[in-house]
Amino acid sequence: MSLIVTELSRRVDGVAHLDGVSCVLERGRFYVVAGQTLSGKTSLLHALAGLETPDAGKISLDGKDLAEMPVWARSVSLVYQQFINYPHLTVYENIAFPLRRRHLVATEVERMVHEIAATVGLTPLLLRMPGTLSGGQQQRVALARSLVKGSDLLLLDEPLVNLDYKLREQLREEFLNIFAKQSHSILVYATTDPLEALLFDADVLVMHEGRLLQVGAAQHVYAHPATTTVARIFSDPPMNLLSGHLDATGLRLADDVRLPRSGHLGDLPPGPYIFGFRPGDVGLASPGISSEVELAEISGSETFLHLRHETMRFVAHLSGVRTHAPGENVEAFLDGAKLFAFTPDGKLAAAPSRV
Amino acid sequence: MSGDRSKMLFISPGLIVLVAIILFPLLFTIRVSFSDWDVARPGLDWIGATNYLRLAHDARFWESFGRLALMAVGSVLLQYLLGFGLALLVWREVRARRFFRVLFLIPMMTTPVIMAVIWRTMFHESLGPVNDLVRLLGFAPLPWLSQSGLAMTSIIIVEVWQWTPFMFLMLLAGLMSLPREPFLAAAIDGAGPVRTFLRVTFPMMAPISIGAIIIRLIEASKILDSVYVITSGGPGTATETSSYYIFIRGLRDFQVGYAAALSFTYLVIMAISLTIIAKVLARVMLVRDHAA
Amino acid sequence: MNALYRILKYAAILLWSAFVIAPFLWALTTSFKTANGITGGPTYIPWLQYRPSLQGWRDLFHSGGGGIQIAGPYLSSLIVTISASLVSLVLGTLAAYGLSRFTYRAGFVRNADITFFFISQRIMPPVVLAIPFFLMLQFLHLLDTKIGLIIVYIALLMPIAVWVMVDFFNTVPRELDQSAMLDGCSPFETFWRVVLPNSKPGLVVAGLFCLIFGWNDFFFAFTLTFTQTQLLPVAIVSLNSSVTPWWSLSAAALVSVAPLIAVAFVLERYLSRGSLAGTIK
Repeated sequence: MSLIVTELSRRVDGVAHLDGVSCVLERGRFYVVAGQTLSGKTSLLHALAGLETPDAGKISLDGKDLAEMPVWARSVSLVYQQFINYPHLTVYENIAFPLRRRHLVATEVERMVHEIAATVGLTPLLLRMPGTLSGGQQQRVALARSLVKGSDLLLLDEPLVNLDYKLREQLREEFLNIFAKQSHSILVYATTDPLEALLFDADVLVMHEGRLLQVGAAQHVYAHPATTTVARIFSDPPMNLLSGHLDATGLRLADDVRLPRSGHLGDLPPGPYIFGFRPGDVGLASPGISSEVELAEISGSETFLHLRHETMRFVAHLSGVRTHAPGENVEAFLDGAKLFAFTPDGKLAAAPSRV
Repeated sequence: MSGDRSKMLFISPGLIVLVAIILFPLLFTIRVSFSDWDVARPGLDWIGATNYLRLAHDARFWESFGRLALMAVGSVLLQYLLGFGLALLVWREVRARRFFRVLFLIPMMTTPVIMAVIWRTMFHESLGPVNDLVRLLGFAPLPWLSQSGLAMTSIIIVEVWQWTPFMFLMLLAGLMSLPREPFLAAAIDGAGPVRTFLRVTFPMMAPISIGAIIIRLIEASKILDSVYVITSGGPGTATETSSYYIFIRGLRDFQVGYAAALSFTYLVIMAISLTIIAKVLARVMLVRDHAA
Repeated sequence: MNALYRILKYAAILLWSAFVIAPFLWALTTSFKTANGITGGPTYIPWLQYRPSLQGWRDLFHSGGGGIQIAGPYLSSLIVTISASLVSLVLGTLAAYGLSRFTYRAGFVRNADITFFFISQRIMPPVVLAIPFFLMLQFLHLLDTKIGLIIVYIALLMPIAVWVMVDFFNTVPRELDQSAMLDGCSPFETFWRVVLPNSKPGLVVAGLFCLIFGWNDFFFAFTLTFTQTQLLPVAIVSLNSSVTPWWSLSAAALVSVAPLIAVAFVLERYLSRGSLAGTIK
């Protein structure tokens, strides 16, 4: 039994928030909707929850069309990125709220609240007010309230984005543990960070400008991006994409950068292509492409080197803090075996094999 | 989002009450204005536009607009200047700020008519403290309630006393919600208090100033309570505002039909004038803001 | 320079404070006077300039001969104002929630227009409504009754409640409503269980505004009531003849205005939380 989304579209003020989105979501599975800001992730989640009515398209759960069902009759939970809890109720009452709406017996309510509180680690905080809690704790309360319902559809809209790095890592791990135990819900988690999708090892739905670009296992989408857009979005930092040419002897990037034809590119017909390579696959070694440093961007304990070779611009991702002054010349080594090839209209032609 | 039935549930009670109690009377007034309803001839007949023709020649009616404009604009302007000044004074670094805030708030809370009754005793030419103060300052006692110019001034003073707190409240709230950065920038640039006010404070307060002035103008245009109590429109008709004149015609002389015509004309004129004033003010304030 | 500025600042504040207090002090002093304290010219300090007496205050409790039975009008004002304010608050808050959360469309009329319709009622000069209200209440045999006045006041106070509450509800995040609905609340339950409990500051301000405007009305009470129902402002003004001695008048005025001064303290605390700056539109 599953959730079937068909051609979902929604326009606001002329801009397409959702553009013909179709997918099938199975029970018991964990899906990550990945995309940049304003790519339609929130719109999709809100449409699934029934908070926004699409202009066109259909959503059906287990064969039943959800269009007629008002929000409060559905079995959906949503965790927001801004910690949303009922400010006038204690943590206990917050979690108990949906149960009370279903008129469950007090003893049952108590049992379920305590059970979920233990799962999420909130037991000592049950009598506190949400306003007195830290961000991470507030988000746990929101999560508890969503879990206690046992809904068919559990949606999370970038829930960790307002927390600090360490807390994010911690909560992500807890999420994985909690989600692993869910077998009858459909979990949909929206994020702008492709690494999160990879960490969760879930099924990914890549969205861009309201359209669903690719669906698949995270690792697969990462290794085989269907289009250049997916390659750019589902990669952090974005993949370098350069136009080039493939002929019998090898491949040519820009005007004078020649690389031998690697095995995985062997079957491709000669002609113009867009080649892609990850910043992490560029190293500073000889012999390489003679490039000029435009900018050395130091982030934490990593360096992003913005390089330029004539008309060719690309970024190298190096570990450690490297100081290279702008204008300096370096040799950038590009391994041909790590190249992606896309047809000029952006579709994937060949991807490097994973070693 | 489904729930169309409930959204009607929320707004219908209020809307129905309002339509029934305000819209119908308004429409009724318009209908009555085309009739000759009078003490002698009660009932709805039809006399066409006779009432409107009559009011077109009614000098007393049109003069009342002039007086109303003078009183309303005069008092609102003073209220704005004083209110702004007070807000600036109490805004920062003042001891017992909360006490003064409450104190300055009080006049606005009091019943205008009742305070007007007290003010009337104060403006009494021989027994009131106002002339006592005037004498103290070295002037001759003034005939506050028996000379037209002074009568209008006395009403303006009462209105200023009563409603400056409103301006004070609005503008103080506005001042307190201003961001700090422009002031820090001005301080770094070496701007003195006057310059900071003209270039930073005042322009940023433009939207709230406009809002407050318009609200006060709307309320001031209805002046009737103080006029009734302090001067009864006098001396003669010197302080007779449009509201007061309509009140006399409709509820004293009971010329209901004519008063209805006067009311409707008054309403239309007020609506148009206030809209024009609002637009003009908005443009003036924003132009000045851009220039600064 | 700085010291001079500070002196001027406090001087200005004190000057205005004196202006604010003046009428109250004058009324207070006058309320303790008898004929002697008045006829010679204005006097201010008891015992030094005139002989104080409690006559003015005693006159508050019996009518006739220049006095006034103030308990009656006080009670009437309380009943009428509180009832009208409660109903206005309920109707106005419901309408405000609808206007804040839902989109209404009837032809070309949309939310902003409906809100404007509610609020524009304040532009209406009382005089314009007085005649039709008079005729309407006369037709319903409700002239000179508390109920008639309450009905009229509801129409006048509801726009105030709508004005304050719409702006207040707009500051409550919609995600809260959404969460409530996802948790199983119908729109009304959402309003009742989630939004309303978090709206206390707005309700207090709206309620106080309704009470104040209602209590302070003179014109409608004046035109729509005569002998059986008398509200406080009307009662006081009817004393404003040359027959009534100043001392009773002053005492009555002070007693009528005193509760409002107390309300000022309460209101100031809520207003200083900045809930007002956003209501100016």
